[in-house]
Parts: sequence; C-alpha cells; structure tokens
Amino acid sequence: MSTDPRYATRRSFLADTAFGVGAVALAHLLHEEKLLADPSKVMPDNHPLTLEPRAPHFAPRANAMISLFMHGGPSHVDLFDPKPELTRKHGTDYEGEVGFSFVNRASKKLFGSPWKFKKHGESGADVSELLPEIATCADDLCIIRSMHTGHNGHEVSIRFFHGGIPAQTGRPTLGSWLVYGLGSESRELPAYMVLSDPGGPPVDGPLNWSSGFMAPLYQGTVLRPDEPRILNLDAPPRLKGAAQGRNLAFLDRLNRAHLERHPGEADLESRIRSFELAARMQTAAKEALDVSQEPKHVREMYGLDDDATRDYGTRCLIARRLVERGVRFVQIFLGGQPWDTHGGIKTALPAICRRTDKPSAALVKDLKQRGLLDTTLVHWGGEIGRLPVVEGALDDGAGRDHNGQGFTIWMAGGGVKPGMTFGATDEVGHRAVEDVVTPNDFQATVLNLFGLDHEKLAYQAGGRSQRLIDGRAARVVKELLHTS
Amino acid sequence: MPQVRRWVAAAVLAVGSSCPALAEEAPSFEKDVRPILRAYCLDCHGGEATKGKLDLRLKRFAEAGGTSGPALTAGDADGSYLLARIQDGEMPPGEKKVPAEQVAVIERWIAAGAPTLRPEPESLPPGLPITEEDRAHWAYQPLKKPTPPAVEGDGVRSPIDAFLAARLREKGLEFSPDADRRALIRRASFDLTGLPPTWEEVEAFVADPREDAYERLIDRLLASPRYGERWGRHWLDVAGYADSDGDNPNDTPRPYAYKYRDYVIRSFNDDRPLDRFIVEQLAGDELVDRKDGLSPEEVETLAATGFLRMVADGTTSGGDVPLASNQVVADTIKVVGSAFYGLTIACAQCHDHRYDPIPQEDYYRLRAVFEPALDPSHWRQPRGRLVSLYTDADRAKATAVDAEAAVLQKAVAEKTDRFIAEALTAELNKHPEPMRAPLREAFAAPADKRTDEQKALVANNPSLNITPGVLYQYNDKAAEELKKDNAAVAAKRAEKPVEDFVAVLDEAPGVRPETRVFHRGDHRQPTKPVTPGDLTIASPEGERYEVADAPADAPTTGRRLAFARRLTDGRHPLVARALANRFWMHHFGRGIVETPGDFGNLGVKPTHPELLDWLACTLVESGWSLKAFHRAVMTSTAYRQASLRDSRRDEVDPDAALLSRFPVRRLDAESLRDAVLAVAGPLDVTPFGPAVEVVEDGVGLINAMGDAPRRSVYLQVRRSRPISFLTTFDAPVMAVNCERRADATSAPQALMLMNGDFVLKHAEALAARVVAASPGDAPEALDARVAASWRAAYLRPPTPEESGMAREFVADRRAALERDPDAKDRDRAALADLCQQLFNSNEFLYVD
Repeated sequence: MSTDPRYATRRSFLADTAFGVGAVALAHLLHEEKLLADPSKVMPDNHPLTLEPRAPHFAPRANAMISLFMHGGPSHVDLFDPKPELTRKHGTDYEGEVGFSFVNRASKKLFGSPWKFKKHGESGADVSELLPEIATCADDLCIIRSMHTGHNGHEVSIRFFHGGIPAQTGRPTLGSWLVYGLGSESRELPAYMVLSDPGGPPVDGPLNWSSGFMAPLYQGTVLRPDEPRILNLDAPPRLKGAAQGRNLAFLDRLNRAHLERHPGEADLESRIRSFELAARMQTAAKEALDVSQEPKHVREMYGLDDDATRDYGTRCLIARRLVERGVRFVQIFLGGQPWDTHGGIKTALPAICRRTDKPSAALVKDLKQRGLLDTTLVHWGGEIGRLPVVEGALDDGAGRDHNGQGFTIWMAGGGVKPGMTFGATDEVGHRAVEDVVTPNDFQATVLNLFGLDHEKLAYQAGGRSQRLIDGRAARVVKELLHTS
Repeated sequence: MPQVRRWVAAAVLAVGSSCPALAEEAPSFEKDVRPILRAYCLDCHGGEATKGKLDLRLKRFAEAGGTSGPALTAGDADGSYLLARIQDGEMPPGEKKVPAEQVAVIERWIAAGAPTLRPEPESLPPGLPITEEDRAHWAYQPLKKPTPPAVEGDGVRSPIDAFLAARLREKGLEFSPDADRRALIRRASFDLTGLPPTWEEVEAFVADPREDAYERLIDRLLASPRYGERWGRHWLDVAGYADSDGDNPNDTPRPYAYKYRDYVIRSFNDDRPLDRFIVEQLAGDELVDRKDGLSPEEVETLAATGFLRMVADGTTSGGDVPLASNQVVADTIKVVGSAFYGLTIACAQCHDHRYDPIPQEDYYRLRAVFEPALDPSHWRQPRGRLVSLYTDADRAKATAVDAEAAVLQKAVAEKTDRFIAEALTAELNKHPEPMRAPLREAFAAPADKRTDEQKALVANNPSLNITPGVLYQYNDKAAEELKKDNAAVAAKRAEKPVEDFVAVLDEAPGVRPETRVFHRGDHRQPTKPVTPGDLTIASPEGERYEVADAPADAPTTGRRLAFARRLTDGRHPLVARALANRFWMHHFGRGIVETPGDFGNLGVKPTHPELLDWLACTLVESGWSLKAFHRAVMTSTAYRQASLRDSRRDEVDPDAALLSRFPVRRLDAESLRDAVLAVAGPLDVTPFGPAVEVVEDGVGLINAMGDAPRRSVYLQVRRSRPISFLTTFDAPVMAVNCERRADATSAPQALMLMNGDFVLKHAEALAARVVAASPGDAPEALDARVAASWRAAYLRPPTPEESGMAREFVADRRAALERDPDAKDRDRAALADLCQQLFNSNEFLYVD
C-alpha cells in the first residue's frame, strides 16, 4: 500500500477502510474487482463497484435466499394443485384452447392426475403423495398456484424468471441484483453461488447466473458438481503448503517494488490484494464446502446416506452452510430437464420427486431449527408447469407438454406468510385465473422481502438506467408477506 | 437553418446545460419538459395512443386538454390538472413514477408561464416527431473537419496533440514527458500485435540512433501479420464472433465460421479500406456473381457476410421457431447498431425510443433492410445457408466416383445375397426334408404377408433368420470376404473430393417479405408495413434516406448493398464517429465517448468532441485507412507519454480521461495467454484455418485441445464452452456481442495464475530453456539464469538488488526441493517457481 500521503486518492482511502490496519481478514471478498472502484468506470448513479454491505431501501425481512430451481417445469396438477374436475373429465376432450410445444404428440384428451392428494398440517395445504417429505413442511410453505409466464418455452420463461424479460438474454440475474443492491455479508466467500448438477448444466448454461450488463463482480460463482467444487482452489501437489506461501511472498515483494515505481496506481494495489484474498479463500471455501464436518444425523436428514438423494442432498446441505457463512444468494440447478416430463410421466415424475423431496424438506426444517429460516428465503419452483391434457396416448407413455399459462411454485421463510396457499388455476389447471403472479411480480416481491424497491434499484448500463423488471408491469404481492 | 449555425447553437446548448447560472432560468417546453413527458407520458398521450383524448406532444395540445378538460394553465401550477395528476402519483399508472426533481421542473415551467422556445405548429402528424432539440444533439451533426486549435509548445507534435493540449492547458496541465524506449516498444507491440517484443527487438530499438526510430517501429509493427490477429480480434468482439450456434442442447459447432474470422484478419492486415470492409460484410453476397463458379476472392467476399451470421441462432432447438428466428433478426440488428451507429437502437423495437430520436418505425425500416435475407416467414436454418465450394471439376469427379462405387456396391450386394442363400440352404438341410419347403417359403414371404402358420414358423426358427450382420456366425470366411469388399467400396467413395463450404448471408431469389412494425415488439402482432431505409435522424430534416428496391426480376432486393453504400458515403454522421471512437478506445483504454455503444442522450458526452470529429473526418479522407489512423494516433505525444501519476494529475485528471498521462492497463485475456506462450517459447504463429477445438479437462477447465499453443484468436469460440483462462480474464462469453470488455481484478484470476496448469506449465518450459542455456552449479550460472528470466519476462536486466533477491529465492526453493526425495530436476523446478512469479507479477500483467 502506498505510504506516501501525496498519493492518497479517494480510492486508496477506500482501500484503507476496507483493509485497514488490524483488519482480521485481508481476504475481504471473493471478487475484489475494483474494490477501489475506478471512477472512470462507474456510471454516475451506480453503487460503487464493491461488495461492501449496503443498506436496503427499507427494513428487510430476508437477508439470504436459496433458490431450488426445478428446471424443466414441474407438473403442478400432479404435485400441488389437485383438480377433481380434471380427474372427473379424464379421457374426454378439453374444450378450451391449448398451445402445444410438441405438436407431433399433441392431444386434447384431459389427463387426470394418477396420484392422490391429501391435506397437510394445520394449514391444510394440498400436497401430492409424490412429495411426502415436503408435505411435512406444509405449515412453513407459502404455495403460489397462479404463476403465469404466458410463454410455454423453457428458454423464454427461464430468462423471464432470472433476467426479468421473456426470452431476452444479456441481462443480470436475480442474484446479481440482490448482490448489487445489498453487497456481501461474507468476507471470504462469493456472495452469489450456484451449485451445478452432475448431470450437466441447465438449458442456457452460464446465462442463468450471468451478471449481464453489470460488472462481472456481480455474477454467480459456479461450484462444480463434484470435487474440486472450485477450480484452481488447491495448489498443485508440488506447491502445497509452505512452497506456495514462499512463492506468494516473493511475488508480493516483486509487486511492491513495482508499485513503488508506480505510486498511487490503484489497479496494481488491487491486484496485490487479489492474491492475498485468493490465499485466504483457499481455506475458507474448503471449510464451507466440507459437509463431512456435519454430524451423522444431519447428513442423514438430507439423505446423504441414500444413493437417490445423496447428490441433491449434499448440495442442499452445502447451500445451508454457505448461507450460514454469509452468502447472499445460492441457487441449485438440476442437470438437463428432469421435470420436463413429456412422456412416461408415471415413472419419470416419481423419480425426480424422489431425488429432490427429502433434501428440499430437510433444508427448510434444518434452517428452521437453526433459527435461520426467518431471514432466509427458500424458493422452490420451475420456469413453467405442465398441461392438463395428455401428451401422447393415455398409456404408460403418457406425458404432459409445457404450460406457461398456470403453474405452482412455493416459498418458505424470509418473511413470507407460512401455511398459505395463494392464487388458483382454472378447473383443470391450465390457466392461472385468480391472483395471477408473473415472474416480474415474483421478482418485485423477492426484492421487497430484502428491503429493496424494484423501481429504485437501478444500474446504469448501455446508456440508460436499467432495472430488473425494466419498467414492465409488476406488483409486490403484499398478500404473501408475513404480517406479524 | 444553415448547418454551421445549428452546430453553434448545439454548442451553446451544451454549455448552457452545464452552467449553473443558466440552469436557474425558466425551463422551456422543448428543452426541459418535453423530454420528461416523453419518458413518462407520451406513450399513452400522443404517441402510441391518445388516452382520454389528451395529447401532450405540444404545449398547445396540453392546454387544449382532453375529456377531463384542459391539462395545463400557463402561470398557474396549482390549477394545472397535468401537474396535479403527476403529483398525486396517479399518473403515470403503474409503479414507475416521475422523479420528484423532474416534477419540480414541470412545476417551475408552468409557474413561469409555460414558455416555449418558438411558436408551435397547429397540428402534428401521428407519432413522436423529431424535434429541433433532438436534431441539435452532437452525434447527429454533419461531419465537418474542425481546425485544430493553435497551441504552441514542445509537447504538440500533431493536430491530435493540439486538441488534447488545449484542454489540458485549460486545466493547467501538460502532457507527461515521453516514456522511455523500453516502455514505448512494449506498449506499441502489445497494442498493435497483442504480443510482447522480443529481447532482441527491444535492444535494437533502444540502440537505434535514427531520428525516426519510433516511426519505423510503428511501421514495422503495422506490417506484421500479427497485427491483423490483434485488431481483427477487436472487431470480432463487436461482431459477436462465435464458432457455435448457441442452440439447445447441442450448441452446434459452426465449422465454417472461421472463414469470416480469417477474412477479418486478412482485411486488417491488408488495410482493406474500411468502407469496402463494411460493404462486404453487409452485402458481400450482392457483390458476387455465383453463376460462373467462385474465385478465391469471391469466396472471401461471401465469407465477409458472416458478420450478419454471428449471433446465436436457436432455431434448431425446437420449440417456438418464430420467436427464435425473430430473436436472430433482433440480435443481428443490435450488432449492426452497435458497430456502425453507436446507438441503442434496440430500445425502439417495442416503442419509440424514450430518450433518443429513434421512432419505432425507424427500427423496422432498418429491419426491412435485412428481412429479405433474415426472413422469419421463410426461415433458413444455419445449415441451409451454406454455399458449397465444389467446382465443376470437383462435381464431375464426385459423380464419377459415385458411379464407380455404385457398381462395386451392387457386386457386393449380389455376393452377400448369394452367401446368405447358401447359408440358408445349409441351415435348412438340418431340418427334415418335408419341412424345408414350407420354412423357405415362410422366410421368403414379406413379413406383413405371412400367414399365421408362417409367422409361427419364423418365430420358432430364429436360426434361419440370416442377415448380413450375422452371416459370420454361419460362414466366417464369406463374412471376411464381404468385409474386404465393403472396405474397397468405402475406399472408392473416399476418392471424392472433400466438399468445403462457406457460410453466407444471402437472399432467397424471388422472396420479398413485407416488413411490418410489431406492436410492442411482439412478432405475433404486426401492424403497419414499412419500407427499408436508414434512421431518420441520420439525415438532415426532410432528407431521410430511403432504400430503393432493385427491379422485381433482379436476383436480390439490393437493399443491403444500397444501405451499406449509404453508411460508407463519407457523410453519414454516425458511422465514422462510431468507428474512430472505437479505435481510439482500443489505443487508450477508453473512448472519447466513454460509452462506445451509446452516443445518444443517455450516453456519456465526448471528452473532446472536436478531436472526435477531426479523427472521423481524417479517417474518411485517408480513404478509410485504419493503418493511417494508427500512425496518426501512435506518433502523437499523447500516445508516447509516460504513465506515471503525480498528485497534481491525480487531482485534475484522476482517470486520465484528459490524457495528461498514458493510462496503465492490464493485458487483455488473449494478450496475456499469447504473451505467456511467446515468452515460454512454444507459441505457434501458424495463421488462419479451422478453429482449434476446445475440450473440458478432468477438473472442468476448458482449454484448447492438446493445449495447442496457437494464438488465442484461433481457438474455438464455443458458446457453451468458454475457454476458462480467457474468460477468467474477461474475454466475453458471446450473448450477442461485446461493445466494451470488462477489466476486472478478482480472486479467481489470482487462483488461475497461482494454481492453474497453464501458467505452471509454461513457467516450467521457460525454466527448462533458461537452465539449458546456463547449466551447472556455479554461482555465475545461477546469475545468468536469473538475468535470462528477467530479460524474457520483463524485457530488461534485473537490478543488482533484484538479482540478489531472486538468487536467494531460487536457492531457498532449491534447498527445499533437496529435502524432497520425490523431486525431479530440482534446478529447473526451483527456477520454474521464479518464472511463475514473474508471469504473475504486475510488471508482466500490466502495460505502462
């Protein structure tokens, strides 16, 4: 750090406060990009390019979010939205209009759910027999049955959910906005982390955690599905331990001598710190990701002892450990599109429920027993739902095609009303008809839970003021907010 | 108004808006109030709709009011309904409200008597008109070469310096002294070639006594084939270059996209005039007559149209093809807009641009230029846009080979049938005689014609079902023979000439789709038809450029060619400015307009508007020569100055926007990778050709196949597999295109340098070379190695202090390795640690 007061610029002042003498952790943030934001690169109204914690617009309910993204389109009429009328009309032709994606297998035959529903908890929430574990959390859930994207395609709707505008790419994702608005609570872990699936990336790949037009500081850091979960975190065997320490010490000497020849050059100072930070992270991230530290009963609670649930359970457990350590936004994706049950739904849907039911429920219960659920928003849901009519024939090959007109998601904790079922689809579950909630409403509501006003939270880019919802119609769904 | 006077008026306006004394004056409708109404109200009141019969496009309309009566009473803010509704938060509806400070502007304006700058017309045609204020914006002024200010002094070598020095002097600053020669050659080499100079080149330059040593250096670098690879890469960012379609789930590779990349690199190396470069990229297909075969030059010209084929094309993903194809069109228009206009024209896709004078109709007029070639109603998927490069001779040869192969194939088929018949007879002979005929008949009968009895026979005697695939189980020798025969057929077919293709954007003959404005940008809601043309604001009032279609029997509509010629006629106000600004940005790290993709109202104003115009005009006058532009810029004092900060400069010019010093910059992703390869030794400078494929390694890092040491520009740009090292250092992952790269400093970068294979491996390579040149245990050998490492990485010898420090470090590492029984080649390993730190250090990563 420059010791010559003549070169004390605003930037080095910021550096001193963030890393000041006596700061316990020099490793302050994972992405230390431009901690000393170069003013030339910041548009006038943007937050400075740092991850310093920032005050929300008003008192927040939530300070962290875990999104269990159920990519592919979970079949709401088989999981959370029972339709007796659909069962009654099973096998008859649907009289309304349907938009199909897979016309070659399209049919207008209504397809009653093959599964039974029961009411659960004091709230009496309807949950299908396919999700016995989530059913036990019924009184903590806030179930929204009236989601509507208006588009049946995966990409169109998933971009709507993450980026705020249907089909459009190049935009920052929800996690980017939260981190931009609030900064990071963690001093040694990335604020926005994504847990990818061994089965591969979701459709659209890295666009799902892109920071779009925002600085890369705000993009999601992807944890790999297997060890090593963070690339390059470990030193190669030859450099483990003292060797790397000596290397870094020598590098530091080179850099400080160079800095003396370039006094006041903040980029060079940031670079020096980025190495210090990286070294700290090697320890912190390793610790956070090590689920073997969890007691046996916790590991079993998440299903780590069962082949079917081990992978998803491990990721849910990591998500909890990350949130506990101050990570702002964690999103768990599935590989491919396991909820995209176009055919063979009678075997495919139970299989994906089996993989995810117990870990998802464990996450809610575990957060609750640790007192973290109050401030941690858990979100479970896909980008679309599925049609009430059959795709293919009403036999073992039966499936359901895409449906962005009406479907279900749920949230828990983080200030949403527990034990609530909100909104409704029509009598067969095709279209949301009551208290319709769009992804933009969902986003406005999530930001609100974090104490952020979606109209105020703006980022200057591309020559204009950009917002998550970008001026589209949206409302904070106040009915979903916990009032007590 | 004559153009000159308008320009002066604009300058006065620009000053006015930044001068506090004038800002206290009463606001005017045109300058202050209308922009607010435009952003918040005009969509429903006068633009797309006239709700409540209230039109707010003119003050007089507001006074006339709508169904609720007059909206405005001049002089009476409290009595003006318009203001009341806004203050109550009732208008605009929805959650987007007019900010308080803007409401205050409206209030002050009404209170001051609601003045207008000039009399308003009686009526207006529908839509949002382009106003005089709109037209006064700097970016739309006709290009006119300004005279450089007369600035005396040592530091002024060229007109560029004069413009910059005049501003600096206003602020009491001067240019910094020239950088030393070592800094200059490193700066210029990275800038023009993306590679460091060699040690020998540095020494030669430092020792060159000639007056014009520096000018010669620039000429040498401009003549290097490496130049096009560096500056072509800049252009590929704007074009959104990618070697894959971005479709789901395959992200299908584009095996021929590289021909566009090579075209770009060749164009830069040849200093192809930029007007021609633009015309070829937008309309190369219209310049080539394909009827009489294709010359290599014609293939190049066709490949140039790859510019319009670079965005992601998801139309093969299944799903909503009209949506996906319309997205391709919209993305392509965005690329065109950012490359040539420097405007955010995409905003006008759904409605009249809220901040810039781009009516929605203009957006669709632009779309009409491209729609015959990018036509969602007759969509052609990527593979349907390939043009075969087969010559007539190739085709004749292929036909002949096919014919010969068919003869061979027929013989093999007959032989196969014979072998099967023989095997069947032998097999039938194992059955009792009376059964043989019925069995033979049952198997010979077509499957759907068999009687129940025959079906049973077939089902119960699977061993009689002899196919070519199982023949070997009955007659091994026969099967072997057939295998050889089939191989001979395949060998014959392989004699066909390999069919090569070029990916082209062109029009299907005879297809002339109608372009309509889409309501709210939704392709399912087409409204009124439009004809092709340039943006209205890009021409003087009343002179909007319209594209005239070629006659109906012409092979193409000629729209893109006409449009491209219009862009490059040398008078277009946006094109030369956008290009000059972009090239300037690559030299100095920031443009004269800091937002290269937005010259509009929300963009950042130019720091040196006259310099920008001078550069733009000079670019056109030079015959659109980019190399002449480089020479002019790089021989200026501004470019040659040192990068050191001091407290005075930090105070007045903290981010070097005024260029009181040269900004220090980190190497970009490609330069960093290429520099490590060059310094370590293995850099392969083979130019051109198919992209080097990328693969994912065991831990998930994506790298060039076989760690190929080719220059980064030749590595495959697979959207779903961005190269880990490059993206970590801010190479763009192409969503659409990249107008300006981020320049981040992050812990993942540090981890990549500390622990990633790439740097480790090449540090070892450098160490191996250095140890081999100075072997042995003598202290002199170690000194020589340290010095050689310094020269390689830093292009200078170490100071005695550095030398001592490095020797100590290497000795210490060597001693530690001595204690490790498994360590191999300890001299090299110890030195590799030193080399890795040199690669990772700021002196290597940054350019002064």
